Amino acid sequence: MAEEHALAHPTPRQYVQIAVLLAILTAIEVALYYLEQSIDAFTTSIAAPLLILLAVMKFVIVVGWFMHLRYEKSLLSKFFTTGFVAAMVLYVAVLFALGAVVLL
Amino acid sequence: MATTATPGSRTIFRRPASHTGFWSWITTADHKKIGIMYGYTAFTFFILGGLEALLIRIQLAQPDSAFLSASEYNAMFTMHGTTMIFLFVMPVSAAFFNYLLPLMIGARDVAFPRMNAVSFWIFVFGGVFLYTSFLFGTTGPPAGGNLAEAASRLGSGPNGGWFGYAPNSGIRFSTGTVMDYWSIGLQILGLSSLISSINFIVTIFNMRAKGMKLLRMPVFVWMTTVVAFLLLFSLPIIAVALFMITFDRSFGTLFFDPSMGGDPILWQHFFWLFGHPEVYILILPAMGIVSEVLPTFSRKPLFGYPAVVFAGAAIGFMGFGVWAHHMFSSGVTPITQAAFGLSTMAIAIPTGIKIFNWIGTIWGGKVKLNTPMLFSLGFVGMFVIGGLSGVTHSIVPADWQQTDTYYIVAHFHYVLFGGAIFGLFSGLYYWFPKLTGRMYSEALGKVHFWVFFIGFNLTFGPMHWLGLNGMVRRTWVYAEETGLGPWNMAVTVGAFIIALGVLIFMINWSWSKRNGPIAPFDPWDARTLEWTMPSPTPEYNFAVNPVVTSLDDFWHKKYTEDSDGRPVRRPEAAALVAELEEVGLNPPAPIHLPNPSYYPFMVGLGMPMIGYGVIYRGAAWGIPLGIVGALIIIGSFIGWGVEPLEEPHEEHSDHADEPEPGDDHGEDA
Amino acid sequence: MADVAHTDGHHDVHESTGIDNRKLGMWVFLSSEFMFFGALISNYMLFKGRDYSAFVPAGQSVILPRELYDIPFTSVSSFVLLMSSLTMVLAHDALASGDQNRTRVWLAATGLLGSVFIGGQVFEFTEFVQQGMTLSTNPAASAFFVLTGFHGAHVFLGILMLLSLYGISKRQGGLTESQGLNVELVGLYWHFVDIIWIVIFTIVYLIP
Ligand SMILES: [Cu+2]
Repeated sequence: MAEEHALAHPTPRQYVQIAVLLAILTAIEVALYYLEQSIDAFTTSIAAPLLILLAVMKFVIVVGWFMHLRYEKSLLSKFFTTGFVAAMVLYVAVLFALGAVVLL
Repeated sequence: MATTATPGSRTIFRRPASHTGFWSWITTADHKKIGIMYGYTAFTFFILGGLEALLIRIQLAQPDSAFLSASEYNAMFTMHGTTMIFLFVMPVSAAFFNYLLPLMIGARDVAFPRMNAVSFWIFVFGGVFLYTSFLFGTTGPPAGGNLAEAASRLGSGPNGGWFGYAPNSGIRFSTGTVMDYWSIGLQILGLSSLISSINFIVTIFNMRAKGMKLLRMPVFVWMTTVVAFLLLFSLPIIAVALFMITFDRSFGTLFFDPSMGGDPILWQHFFWLFGHPEVYILILPAMGIVSEVLPTFSRKPLFGYPAVVFAGAAIGFMGFGVWAHHMFSSGVTPITQAAFGLSTMAIAIPTGIKIFNWIGTIWGGKVKLNTPMLFSLGFVGMFVIGGLSGVTHSIVPADWQQTDTYYIVAHFHYVLFGGAIFGLFSGLYYWFPKLTGRMYSEALGKVHFWVFFIGFNLTFGPMHWLGLNGMVRRTWVYAEETGLGPWNMAVTVGAFIIALGVLIFMINWSWSKRNGPIAPFDPWDARTLEWTMPSPTPEYNFAVNPVVTSLDDFWHKKYTEDSDGRPVRRPEAAALVAELEEVGLNPPAPIHLPNPSYYPFMVGLGMPMIGYGVIYRGAAWGIPLGIVGALIIIGSFIGWGVEPLEEPHEEHSDHADEPEPGDDHGEDA
Repeated sequence: MADVAHTDGHHDVHESTGIDNRKLGMWVFLSSEFMFFGALISNYMLFKGRDYSAFVPAGQSVILPRELYDIPFTSVSSFVLLMSSLTMVLAHDALASGDQNRTRVWLAATGLLGSVFIGGQVFEFTEFVQQGMTLSTNPAASAFFVLTGFHGAHVFLGILMLLSLYGISKRQGGLTESQGLNVELVGLYWHFVDIIWIVIFTIVYLIP
């Protein structure tokens, strides 16, 4: 199936580079946590969106490259996204109905 | 065959070899045998659930009856609901999926034959585990109220309702073990359904015959698809909820204990987030069956096939957005009430589309009133009544009046009995010749239908006005002064008439299976691929992998249309059918099949052992038993990992058909 | 469970989507796992913000999970799990290039890193219990333990699968093509468990 190999999988070297990137993102997350703890002006409502953004980046990198999803047929992405979106929507609705503050 | 030439394929057990006899059933990986076993096991549970219903009805036939104690009554209504939903309708639907799905899409088996056997064995052992509550379960010291007597064995079944509402199902109010049996038993059953849902999804997406595009699949296959996705996304929710209740009961967590800051309403959300999709899991297979039966016996194509498919998918999708209509009286906010009231009204639209399409299918057709057709027509009629009474619940203030009364009981029995069970019986008659190679007795079948139809309406019709007159659910007595006695007696008579109908069915089935006239190859002049095979279906299904060129391919090969659009049988149709039969019995090339395996049975066996381990963790043997169960499961999977699906050095390991390059590899999702 | 290695590849019939059955099955399974962990996470989100002062004896204070977090420690174990995804992907890569020995090394490394993560979790739980927070302290504590515990159970199951692959490879002197797909499947499962931890680390630990 030629089209599957149109995008070459990363080499081991590139995998290590991706892992370094993930490590750096994690370091930034932890740093943000401490900034939020120690600086009054840097409130949770500023830190939280940044932290979520970083988590989303890590999530996408692991799914896209380590799980090879960006090299796979789009059907798999559809399944995966469906599960993710369904979970987000339904549980946010449940938390809303229960009167819980969502995320922040 | 390169992939199965495993070095060192020696395993703990010798591989089972025989294809007949007792062990062939225990070890089979054949979807048809598994389907048949699903059917018989589910029917056994149907009898149990039915007996429970009869006991309930004897108790309620008269006011202030003392036939059952309160605790026995609680166990009966809980296990009636749990059995009928999880141990009858779901597995009997799984029986249809198993038997028919590969045949209808032109496959030799499901995607994961041994995983399929795992699903079945987990289901069997899960069901048996649940029922052992009657043998070993305890209800614990009474928590006050009317439960002051010690429970008998009959009263030692799970007793918290099929919905297991917290905190009643929690350790504070259910101190015995019966609700542990319930929560762990359902957990096991859920695992079984989750595995089979993955199996069916992969089968449908990956195993279709050449040319069987998604929009050429029979509606039954489409409904299977929707059900599989509903299971896939709703079962994890109930799994978590059941884990939470199990942890609350066994390990001291506080999720649903309001006296410690827990939240019982969370249980209701999680339960119904699963529970409403579950309703569609129960009804959609029957809708699929009816969508096959109506066109066949009206001798017309299904009216508006894309609309029926789309409506089914829409029902599945919207089914996740209506759960809180079960909670209007639970103190949810007005916004929630309004939103879920509206979404509940909206979900009636795709259901209505289907009804119109079914009526459109019958309209102007040459209708033949055989037994399957009668049951399908009964389905349409009864389901309309149940659907309409269901929509009345979307009006929140009306729902407050109806909640916890027999009006609700009437509604969901019109949907699940008048709907699902009528549809399933329609399917049982319709595919009986395919399954057995013989015909059932048409006369007895028709008697069964009319007995069922009368008994059903006598049972559940009066429940509407009993409920509106104030008869409450889940209560074992009512006072004479309420005046509810006469109608309750009528309901009980109706229930026994239904039981008579089941008896007629059983006689018809077991007699016709052996003595019925030999069924012709294509007895109904049908439309779908399973009728292009000999009956009963040979082990390899298709002697030659079929190629499909249109929706209702088989029909179009037999029929053409005249200038008015009426079907005209092609002159060559008879020859075609004869040839199919000839080829079907004599495959031109050897076909290799998945070998039987002991491991699926072992995996199932391990499950209840873990369950008992959790319940009896206080006893010296409890935890060891659980560990042994877990080790059996892990060991089976490891043994399985080194056991190839097909034996590599068997004589007939040639391929009947090599995968052809250039097939439609489209991602037509 | 459906995620355990098996060899049901059915090469008799072509795959309509062009995706191997087992691989498709694994992705389908993972999509349903979102519902599973979503329920556990939302359970924690619900209970973490509630006030439990009415439910503790007078004079005692409420112990919430967030007051006991040891962020440096959890950061390290998160890092360990992240790196185990790297070793996992390297195992897959080694097998793709036909190097059976290197595959085994990376499989073992992945299992080892996973075990370190589990060890860290056991240590964290013990620490919390010693500081007075158990399953029965309050629903927030219950939800914390059950969420992270089920995640840990998934890691544990992954380690079992890695060990089985390692053992089979060792015994046979390598993995066959069909078993090799199992490395990819276990990899998918392993990375999925990792992304769930990425989410948990952020919204349970880092956002108070
Ligand atoms: Cu509902």
